[in-house]
Amino acid sequence: MREKLKEIIGRYDVEYIEDYRSWVKAKLKNKEDLLPLIKELKKAGVKSCSTVSPTDFIDENRIEVNYFLENLNPTKSSKEEEKVNVWLKVDLDRDLQNCEIDSITPIMPSANYHELEAYSTFGVKFRGHPNLRYFLISRDYYGKFPFRKDFDFKEHEKNLIENINAITDEFLEEFEEHEKTIGHEGSRTVLHWGPTHPASGPIRLKVFTNGEIIEKVEPDIGYVWRALENLVERKDFIGAIVAVERICFMDNPNPMICYSEAVEEIAGKEITPFAKYMRVILGETGRIASHLISMGSFFGTMGLQTFLMWCLDVREYFLDVLEDYSGARIATSCIEPGGVRYPLPDPEAWFNEIDKAIKKWEKVKPDIEDIFLKNPLMTKRAKNTGVFTLEDVEEYFLAGPVARASGAKIDVRIDEPYAGYADLEMDYVTCENGDARDRLYIIVKEVDQSIGLIKQAIEKIREGIEKGEMNPSKDHLIKMPKKLPAGESVRRIEWARGEILMHLVTQDKATSPYRLKIKTPSVNHTMMLENLLPGHTLSDIPLLYGSMHICQGDLDR
Amino acid sequence: MLKILDFFNYARSRSPWIVHFCSGCCSLEMLAAMGPRYDWERYGYVMTPTPRQADIIFITGLVSKKILPALLRTYEQMPEPRYVVAIGACAFDGGPYNDSPSVIKNMTEILPADVFVAGCPPKPEAIVAGLEELKEKIKRGEPSASSQGGLWKQMKF
Repeated sequence: MREKLKEIIGRYDVEYIEDYRSWVKAKLKNKEDLLPLIKELKKAGVKSCSTVSPTDFIDENRIEVNYFLENLNPTKSSKEEEKVNVWLKVDLDRDLQNCEIDSITPIMPSANYHELEAYSTFGVKFRGHPNLRYFLISRDYYGKFPFRKDFDFKEHEKNLIENINAITDEFLEEFEEHEKTIGHEGSRTVLHWGPTHPASGPIRLKVFTNGEIIEKVEPDIGYVWRALENLVERKDFIGAIVAVERICFMDNPNPMICYSEAVEEIAGKEITPFAKYMRVILGETGRIASHLISMGSFFGTMGLQTFLMWCLDVREYFLDVLEDYSGARIATSCIEPGGVRYPLPDPEAWFNEIDKAIKKWEKVKPDIEDIFLKNPLMTKRAKNTGVFTLEDVEEYFLAGPVARASGAKIDVRIDEPYAGYADLEMDYVTCENGDARDRLYIIVKEVDQSIGLIKQAIEKIREGIEKGEMNPSKDHLIKMPKKLPAGESVRRIEWARGEILMHLVTQDKATSPYRLKIKTPSVNHTMMLENLLPGHTLSDIPLLYGSMHICQGDLDR
Repeated sequence: MLKILDFFNYARSRSPWIVHFCSGCCSLEMLAAMGPRYDWERYGYVMTPTPRQADIIFITGLVSKKILPALLRTYEQMPEPRYVVAIGACAFDGGPYNDSPSVIKNMTEILPADVFVAGCPPKPEAIVAGLEELKEKIKRGEPSASSQGGLWKQMKF
């Protein structure tokens, strides 16, 4: 596979082609070559675009656009056939007039929102995009491209009240436009689902309906936009943890693992085995805590709060595990470049805490299965609703549990192992139908898988201590250099809701990241709502939305 | 002697209803406070999906520019007397997002809060303790801070 991809890319005018972990990395000389190359790559099996990430090199007067194309290959496990991805780079002029490139959305629909984001924040125009518009950013940033290095946001902040009024004006204009285009005749109307809907969280779906049937859905995002990618550029490498962990508090440790590994790679450091297994335990605990909310809110959005309360009860025990280790329940900051933040002076006491949490889950699980998972009402409602096929998974790059519910064999923990996962035994957890009910079942299965992984990791740590190879009160952290060399790294991890990809760029003697692109799964899942909801009735929105496990925190960043 | 209006204040303080509005990550700890372990319904707090019946609105952590009009509009729809509880560091000065170009740093200048709950995010116990403090204020019949002033009156929403 690798040779084949290299051969295809080699036919074009490239500066270099090299191997980088699971990627084939290449830089194109001409931006006109991009479209034909991507067409050929799609034929060869690289069908999904993970993200589009521009980097602004202001000193060299160029914007470098990175395309991360992934070969998901959902029918085969990576043990049978290596999954090789492609990382393409193209240079563009920094000048706003010429900052233009062909859009790959018509070929790979999964690039849609990522291109809009790149356009809104960096001003890279995508020729041929089906609907190029400002996205994610609030009205006051339209046309200002806030992520460019020469944008002065302090100056911009001075006119706060005018900025807010401009945002309100946008809503009013939109409202008037709908009044004009749709009118009051007939049964067509626009409904706004969110941001104050109890089930929605801060997102707004503009739902165009005819009677009760949905005709079109336009998600409007950016209600919790914190510009984290821009924020980390003003923090040092350790301080950036504070921003990175706030992608989403539901699964807190995993984004930190991703970021830390990216930094460690540039620094050229290898962490201790003890820290690796600690990362597994913390990451899986975070995953379980997140899954328990996902499970509960699946029923919560359908109108049954009881299950949510049950899940919150179990979740508290897993949060106790995190609190016992780090002192904080959900904002743990427990993983940093170089290992994990705190030593573990009394490992057995902490393992007992984990044991308590696992026992609690195992005690509640039979009841959950009997009352909720086999619930005939839920089955009737959710079975065969909102089905995703394997083609959808590749076309729109669905990730994590949503993809695995359709039977896709995608899991970064197996495809490109990180932390301690390479030494642990695990297999793909999948369901078959890919409907809303399976997207609930997969979550329950994954909690069991995570518990298995935690148990294995604890065993490994116990063995290590017995043999004298690990010292929990010393091995947690290795010394990291204060300044990093120039370089860039790409890391992927399996987060609770899918794959997170981080692209970190540093400059020489850097004390803070030059650019950190964070790709999160909820962006693609929200994009999918546009295709999923039309044709369904209004009452299906909470159910299908709840089944996609979307978190606005990672949707907006 | 107990005046009749005092009695209303007393009654109001025993069961404050809270509007269901989340703008940031602290709403996760609010969820935990609703949950079985902390269970704020013991103290009489209930979430209500509509602002028309609510007494309290939470500023749950960060408020981005885009959601501010929605927050103010929800606040405007509540009947008097209405109280504001600010949770988390972000509601005070932007907290960890103080350098961010899209988060509002002076939220309580815009919508003054009656009670601050510190922390990032505050623990559920702290949220319940903050609400208990607000209860005392309601009982005394003091006017809410946001009715006294604030930049929100100059804004369009």
